This record gives sequence, C-alpha cells and structure tokens, in this order.
Amino acid sequence: MSSPAPSAPRRVAITAVGVVSPLGLGCGETTRALRAGRDGVTPVTAFDVSRTRCKTAGSIDRAALRANSAAVEKARGHELHPASRMMMAAGAEVRRGDAAFDPELLVIGTTSGGMSFGEHFYRAQVEKRQPHERSLWLANYLPQKPVLDTLELWPSAAPSQIIANACASGTNAVGHAFRLVRAGHYRRVLCGGYDAISEMVFVGFDSLQASTPEKIRPFDKSRTGLVLGEGAALLALEDLESAQQRNAPILAEITGYGISTDNHHLTQPHPSGIGPRQAMERALADAGTAPGEVDYINAHGTATPFNDATEGTAIAQIFGERVPVSSTKSMMGHSLGAAGAIEAAFCVLALRERFLPPNIHFQELDPAWRLNIVANESRAAELNCVISNSFGFGGTNATIVLQKA
Amino acid sequence: MSSMLPPTTAKIAGLGWVTPLGGGLESVWERLLRGDVAEAKIIANPETGREHVYAPVPPKTVEALGRNPRLRRSSAISYFAVAAGLAALENAGVSLTPETAARTAIVFAISSGGVVYTRKFYEQIVKQGANTASPLLFPETVYNAPASHLAAQFGVDGASYTLVGDSTVGLAALKFAEQLLATSDLDRVVVVGSEEIDWILCEAYRDWRLARRPGGSRGAMLAEGAAAVVLAREGKLDLVLHDGVPVFRRVEAGAALARVFADLLPTGAPDAVIGCANGTFVDGIERQVLAQRFPEAALSFPKCALGEALGASGLIQVVAAALALQHGAVPGMSADGKSIDTVLVSALGFNQQAGGAVLRRTA
Repeated sequence: MSSPAPSAPRRVAITAVGVVSPLGLGCGETTRALRAGRDGVTPVTAFDVSRTRCKTAGSIDRAALRANSAAVEKARGHELHPASRMMMAAGAEVRRGDAAFDPELLVIGTTSGGMSFGEHFYRAQVEKRQPHERSLWLANYLPQKPVLDTLELWPSAAPSQIIANACASGTNAVGHAFRLVRAGHYRRVLCGGYDAISEMVFVGFDSLQASTPEKIRPFDKSRTGLVLGEGAALLALEDLESAQQRNAPILAEITGYGISTDNHHLTQPHPSGIGPRQAMERALADAGTAPGEVDYINAHGTATPFNDATEGTAIAQIFGERVPVSSTKSMMGHSLGAAGAIEAAFCVLALRERFLPPNIHFQELDPAWRLNIVANESRAAELNCVISNSFGFGGTNATIVLQKA
Repeated sequence: MSSMLPPTTAKIAGLGWVTPLGGGLESVWERLLRGDVAEAKIIANPETGREHVYAPVPPKTVEALGRNPRLRRSSAISYFAVAAGLAALENAGVSLTPETAARTAIVFAISSGGVVYTRKFYEQIVKQGANTASPLLFPETVYNAPASHLAAQFGVDGASYTLVGDSTVGLAALKFAEQLLATSDLDRVVVVGSEEIDWILCEAYRDWRLARRPGGSRGAMLAEGAAAVVLAREGKLDLVLHDGVPVFRRVEAGAALARVFADLLPTGAPDAVIGCANGTFVDGIERQVLAQRFPEAALSFPKCALGEALGASGLIQVVAAALALQHGAVPGMSADGKSIDTVLVSALGFNQQAGGAVLRRTA
C-alpha cells in the first residue's frame, strides 16, 4: 500500500464538547451534577417493566429534549427518534462552543440506532395494525439516521463512519477520529456516540442478569450489576495547530488510544483482565505516557461482577492504588454506545474544572484489589492527564488518554 | 474528497464470498458470466400471512462450519462472515499464526444486524413476557457479534471494528480498513460484510417501497450473503476508495454520485463499471449519472443476479470488480476484444451516502 506522505504526527485538540445524559443537557448542568454526585437513575416509565428484575435506568427528560428540537421537527413535519433529538442537542452545543468548526468526517458510535421504532413496527405486525407512522418508524430506525440529522445542523457534506462495537463504540469512535487527525488524514473530525433506551435492550441485559434491581455500585464488594442509561456526546477534534491559527477554544488534547479484543467469550471477559490491560497499556504506549503520569481513571465500571473483577485487576496491575478511580455510570447508568463518548466529555470537564467525579453508592471496596476509589463525593484536584476505559460484548476493549490543554 | 490527503492506494491481497449462487470465487463468477440468477424463495409473515420473496444462500455453502464450537449458537450472518473471511485469507495465501494474527485487524460491515435473533428475542418479550426472553438469543443480536466470532476464529486480539450503515457500508468498511493500515503497523485488515434475511426485514423494505413482491419485477430482491476482502500493504490489485458523500434527500443522490465519480476519476473513464442498480429508485439515478460521465464503459449489475445483500453488497461488488480485472470480462457484456484495466464500483445507498472505488491491476 502506498501510505500518505510521511509527516510529523499532529497534536489533537478538542475544541468543543456537546453532552446529553441523565445528568443534564449540556456541559454546565452536567458539571454541576458531577460535582454534586447526583443520582440520575430513576424508575423506567417508557415501557412495561413489571416482569423484569431491574426496574430503573438513567433516563433523559424526554419533554426537555422534545422542546429542544421542536422547531426542527415542525419544519420537517414529523417527529424525530429520541436518539436524533439527543444527538442534535449535543451537536447544537458543539456549534455554540465552536461555531467555526466545520467537520470533514463524522465518526460516531452506537449499539442500537433507533431500536424503539423497530419495536413499534414489530408490535404493529403482531396487532395487525398499519398505522401511518410506519414509514416514519422505518426511515428513523436505522443507525445512520441520527447521524445524518445531526450533520444537517452544520450543514456539511462530510461522510460518516458509524461504529457498532457494543459498549466500547463511543471510545472507539473518539479513538479512531483521534488517530486520523493525528496522522494528518483530516483536519477536523466530529466524533462521539449515542444510544437511547429501548425495551429490547433493557430486557436483554435483564435476561442475562447483568442488570440489577438495586443501586449500581461499581467496584463495591456488594455490587450486583448495572442499570442502563442513555444519552449522546459529541467532541470536535482538530489538528491543534489549525485550531490555534483560527483562535478556536482548546478545551483539552487527546494523546493516545488503545484497542484490544478478548476472544474468551461473547459476553464475558477473560478473568485475568488481559483485555482491559492490553487496551490501557496500548493507549499509554500510544500516548508516550507512563502509568505514574496518570491523575485519574474514568473506569468502565459497570458494576457487574465480571467487568469490575477484570477491570479492577487490570487497573491494580498497571497503576497500583495511587491513581483515583471512579465509574460515573454509578450516577447515570450505562449508556452503551454513548458511554465512551459521554465519559470522554466528563474527562474534559474534570480536566478543565479541576475535580474528580465521584463513584456514588459506594460502601466497601471489593477486597480482590486495592484501588483508590473516589467514593461518593467529588474531590477537588489539579489534573494533567486522565484516561477513560470502555469495554463491551464481543470482547472489545478501548482506552483513550486525555491531557489538559 | 473530504480527506486532506490525496486518495491513497490500498492493495487487495485476497477475496472471498458466500452468495445465493454458492461460495466458490471462480464457480460463482462462472455462473454470473453465464447469466445465472439466484433462486428466489418465499418467506411469509406469520402474523398476517403476507408473502415476500428473497434470495437465500444455499445451506450447503456453509455446512463445513456446522461443527465449529464457537458458532454453535450464532446466527446465519456469522456463518456467512466466517466462511467468506476464511476463503479470503486462503485466497491471499495467509495462514494465521499467533504472530501473523497479531498484525491483522478485522473490520466487519453490516446493515440490519442479527435480524432473525433480534426479531425472535423481541417476539418472546411481546408474546410471552419479558421474564421468558432467552439469554442465549440476546448476545447474538448485538451488531458486533459476527466480528467477535471472526476475531476468535482468526485469533486476532487487536483491532476489531464493526461498521453499520446502508448498502454503501461495505465500501465505508474498506475505507476504514485503509485508514487502519495507514495509521498503524498492521500488515493486513480482513474486511467482511454479511447479511441475513427475516420476514420482518422483508416487511420493512416492502413498506418502504424498496423490496420486490412475489412475482413482481420492480423493487429489490433482498438477499443473504457475505463477501470478504483482505487489504494489505502488498497485493494483486490496487484499490482507490472514496470517503463517501452524504445524501440527505433522494433528489440530491445523483449529484452525490456524480461527485464521487468525479473525485475518483477526474480525467479518463473506467473500462467497466460494477454498478449498484437493484430494481429501486437507485437504478434511474445511477443510469443517468453513468450515461453522462462514462457513456462508453461496459456496465454490469451483479445485484440483478445475486440480489440486494445490503451490508454485504458493497463488498460483493468489489469482489466482482476484482474478478472482472483478473478475467478481463464482466457479466452481462460481450468481451468484444476490449481490455479491462480500470473498473469503477458505484454505490448508492437507500438513506445514508454515495460511495465508490476504483480497481486496477498492480503495476
């Protein structure tokens, strides 16, 4: 293969962030919620949960979301899927943060696209109904639709790559976008992830007994599983030099990315923690960062017995007990394909606002490892370098390294 | 193109496919040249009795994988994907040892995902209650389940990605693979696209006015299948890929496709085009743009014979284009003594973007 002309790697800046999660719409509300250790998990009302063990999730205020995109929906003459509304809200925040950012490529992660519209379509078959919304459901069911809806905000003729690497999708999207900008393939890439809660996925995790009827307690001795969440986050990545030339805001830098695949089992990680360990080691090597330089780890931390056992082991092996660790899923649930992007956004907020987001509902550390958990309350901290982990079904593992601007 | 850099040239080192006309590279190619068309099968919606038509992969095509322990509960897409991937590696002359696997990545392309298990799982929820839904089905509904099986089969512990999108996603996956090669020290990327069919998918595409009805001639014949391409630093054929141009509304599709063609071939014309016509609105748009830009090129439309395999179709087109170069012929056209040195792959999806690629023999 004839590679592009060799050139020095570029530094990669984040010039804007848009985030929508159960902790708030936008960076301001999200920062306040993270500092306060707010619990964004509430009872599920979107569908029947009378026959599931778990009955809660980190849900977004749908009325606020709908109001946010009302003008667009009125102009188009039809409703958008909640996933499109989340993505467009995140996109609008990016536009407000860096109006001159014009993406050349979109790299977006998701696990389920507009799944709830697919559920409506199936139910209509069973009930032998042919509602006029069927065409709307079909057109908005596919994973590319929220991406195109968001792209229209610019407007831009940028192509899109949509990654579906299960729960690592968001981090994979940010990591791949980072590599492309660093290598000089693109100057500006918009990246992130989204997922909206759907009945099928909710029941899926319940059927595996991965979700819990209790509070989500990552890394706790008495953890019993995850609760799902939803949301979207977008990060504007740009060649640092280019961003500086146009006086764009520089919020943080991404300096490294690592990916690994653990072939042990479709839904269970290898107990040794080799998958997470390889992802973190590869990301640190990619960034040229020593473990001792890392000031905070935003863990995948789903609170399932398997995930935390392997991730905790890998963190302890690489970092010992010095580095503060928290799983912000304790506050917002697990938003699957969006999680990595949202947690990358949280890392940017932590770097800029100088605090460690907490791991709430924490009672007692699992004695299997010695970790420095940011238990229950946020802490003030001067941060220079942080990492964010995401791991998923299919054995896919991803880590990114972020640096203070 | 959107990238700051001029188009790079990846090398095609291996090819494989699993189609409604069978699985062997050469045997399917010969059938395409003969004008064979995939056998159609009827599938009915059990709720309403409405019948649909689609092109299945003959079961014997993947029966050799039947005893593979990793695949014992997997969906058809995983069988198709593994069969196509193994064939492409064999065609490339690559035997994956732990050392070579460490320098190999996987990119998997899909449009509808594990639609059979997804429908079955949700059916259990709706008809029997959430507490009866099978934990054996749910993991196989995840888009990246086939990629996971591919990684386990090949022993790959590094990069493995699944891309989703419309029927251009195969070309997007190749572009993604090219980027992986350019930004890493990998030796090769195995790019696989796969699709399976269920009655719910047929219902959806019929309601969308895109799928053919039994006995009809308009609309796409939805099809099962998979194709695989090994991209590497050395290979038999050069592949130049476009990033893609988004299509927000159908009226913009012709301009998007024309831009792809102009970017890929700013001067000159291909000797042959492997088009994406599938019996839908795509046909007229593609025909018009091709007639304007490349009126002399030989045109071939493999979806007429193999059906519309959605996430697999872009890769099936690339395999067909590679075989056209290797054999100096295209299905549906007489050879008329003209050599085939440059082949254009044209791709226009239903609701995401236009894409394209150019293949040439490596100098």
